[in-house]
Amino acid sequence: MQKSRDVILSLALPYREKLEIRRTVFDGERGGPKVAVVAGIHGDELEGLFLCHRLAAELQALVANDPSSLRGRVEIYPALNPFGVDTIQRSVPVFDADLNRMFPGHPGGLPPQRIADAVMRELSGAELVIDVHASNIFLREIPQVRINKQFEETLLPLAHAMNVDLVWVHGAVTVLEATIAHSLNARGVRCLVVEMGVGMRVTPELSDQMVAGILHVWQQLGVLDGRLPLERPARVPFVAGDHNVQYLNAERSGLFVPSVQHWIGVHRDQLLGVIVSPHQGDVLSEVRSPVDGVLFTLREYPIVYEGSLMARIMEADVPSEAVA
Amino acid sequence: MSAPSLLRMSTPLRADFEIPYHDVGDPSRPPRLALVAGLHGNEVNGVFVLARLASFLHRIAESRTPGLELRDRILVVPAVNVLGVNTGDRRWPFDDTDINRMFPGYSGGETTQRIAAAVMNLTSQAYYRVDIHASNVDFEELPQVRLYAATAAERASAILFGLPAVVERPLNAIVSSTLAHAWRACEGENFVIQAGIAGMLQPQHCERLFRSLVSFLHRTGIVSGTHLSEDEDVHYFGTDQSFPLISETAGLFVSRLEVGRWVRGGDVIGQIFDGFEGELRAEVHAPLSGLLSGLRRRPTIYEGDLIARIQSPQSVPAVADTFLPGQGQ
Repeated sequence: MQKSRDVILSLALPYREKLEIRRTVFDGERGGPKVAVVAGIHGDELEGLFLCHRLAAELQALVANDPSSLRGRVEIYPALNPFGVDTIQRSVPVFDADLNRMFPGHPGGLPPQRIADAVMRELSGAELVIDVHASNIFLREIPQVRINKQFEETLLPLAHAMNVDLVWVHGAVTVLEATIAHSLNARGVRCLVVEMGVGMRVTPELSDQMVAGILHVWQQLGVLDGRLPLERPARVPFVAGDHNVQYLNAERSGLFVPSVQHWIGVHRDQLLGVIVSPHQGDVLSEVRSPVDGVLFTLREYPIVYEGSLMARIMEADVPSEAVA
Repeated sequence: MSAPSLLRMSTPLRADFEIPYHDVGDPSRPPRLALVAGLHGNEVNGVFVLARLASFLHRIAESRTPGLELRDRILVVPAVNVLGVNTGDRRWPFDDTDINRMFPGYSGGETTQRIAAAVMNLTSQAYYRVDIHASNVDFEELPQVRLYAATAAERASAILFGLPAVVERPLNAIVSSTLAHAWRACEGENFVIQAGIAGMLQPQHCERLFRSLVSFLHRTGIVSGTHLSEDEDVHYFGTDQSFPLISETAGLFVSRLEVGRWVRGGDVIGQIFDGFEGELRAEVHAPLSGLLSGLRRRPTIYEGDLIARIQSPQSVPAVADTFLPGQGQ
């Protein structure tokens, strides 16, 4: 087993420094497949960075215990937008470019396109790439896998094994063709998008849950030895689609204060929260669930403008004991 | 006189905000022209010019300009991103989304989708539609008309602005969510104008832009009367005639050139110096002859940065250009 760190792309900056994309590689050197985890494509999404740390810790422990337990090669890219992480910016600094709208990139293009191109080249030949996102600073997400409908057939079985409560199969949107996930899947490299938590925060228990799912999938793929006694994923996901996801957008601007917990079942007409004004005692708007279902997105940032998304609910029959 | 608004919305703490516009001419007729600027709040050249143009149009409509007559109805939206103009932000400052990536919008969706839907709702009634931009804070553009997958009618009408360059650009995934792209679903003709650099008000570019809009009004017969402006040399460039000059050297970029001049292959565009040691790292030469339609203004250059854009009279070799993200739009 070899563990190494290397730089896949280095670009000179105007004043002395370099922009480097670094990765860590665990190679079992036993002929098993290559898999990868990428995170930090948006510099304000940090949950995936912690997940990378947790996965590295698990791999180190596994091979310390039994070097032969790693059959394949695991590549960990904690931050594809390291400059953004370092400067608390979602986009690639200076270029003001959303890196996840730059794929598949170009080797002779602008720096964000060169990053995308370098990453695409390194990830070619992978059996599975997991692209970890952490929503944004406004919304908190339960751990979920998102799949483009176009690739449902190949990805859904893998998503089922990821130990999440929700898999969201969404329709194609033109602009999203420029994402890393779409670009990889279009080239035959399977890529699952994981969304979890909230921007600018780390929620350790979410990473714990995902570690169990990812190790399990890696074992299924033959990256980890089949004899390893890993815990089996306990969670069976709901499968959401464009037809059964309800979006709750604010009717009024103000302060949104939720009255329920995230990640629960809710009933039709149940009060989820209120929008109030700091200037007056009246409630401006009551936010109620339009359906029975699972509250999988809940607004974290309280200020809302008209139209701001406050919650997403997947319509489903939820057992009463699961309802708050 | 209170202006009509294309959208009115409550805010968390301040008074309600609205996106006002000018509606000039006979209100019983459908508008012939819609002019939009300030989708990006820091692109001030377009905001200023449309505000000045609206003032001019109101004076014509009120018969305060002898010899000129307004024959059609015109809609003018000097700024869509009102909050962004007031905070100096390109994007919608609250949630940092780019309004010009939200089209065609959705009236029941996110705030910026609602803004986009309202802009579409107002402007799609017009036959001619123009969206005015000013690149970004890094790059200065010669005032020019941009066409995306143009129709024959658009190619013909683009000349009527009399701006020094008409540049055809390819469609890509980025521009598919812009206002100009959403307009394509409606009958009529659509134009993007780029003028100058974001974050500044550049009087020379503004004067040129103002004259070009007046020329267009005159030549389309929307305003009749005295011919108000002189022609410039207009050059037309297809999608295969645009060359982006990309630097492979990082450092501090120094240039004494102005946009709009013609360069010959081999001419010096500028120099790149090491920002610490002060040594010359590279001299940047024009790889081909053509019109310098855009020039880098932010001096700190990354390896892989765009330095200039040259429009060539000839077809240029296929380069990364078609993959470049839509600068400024």
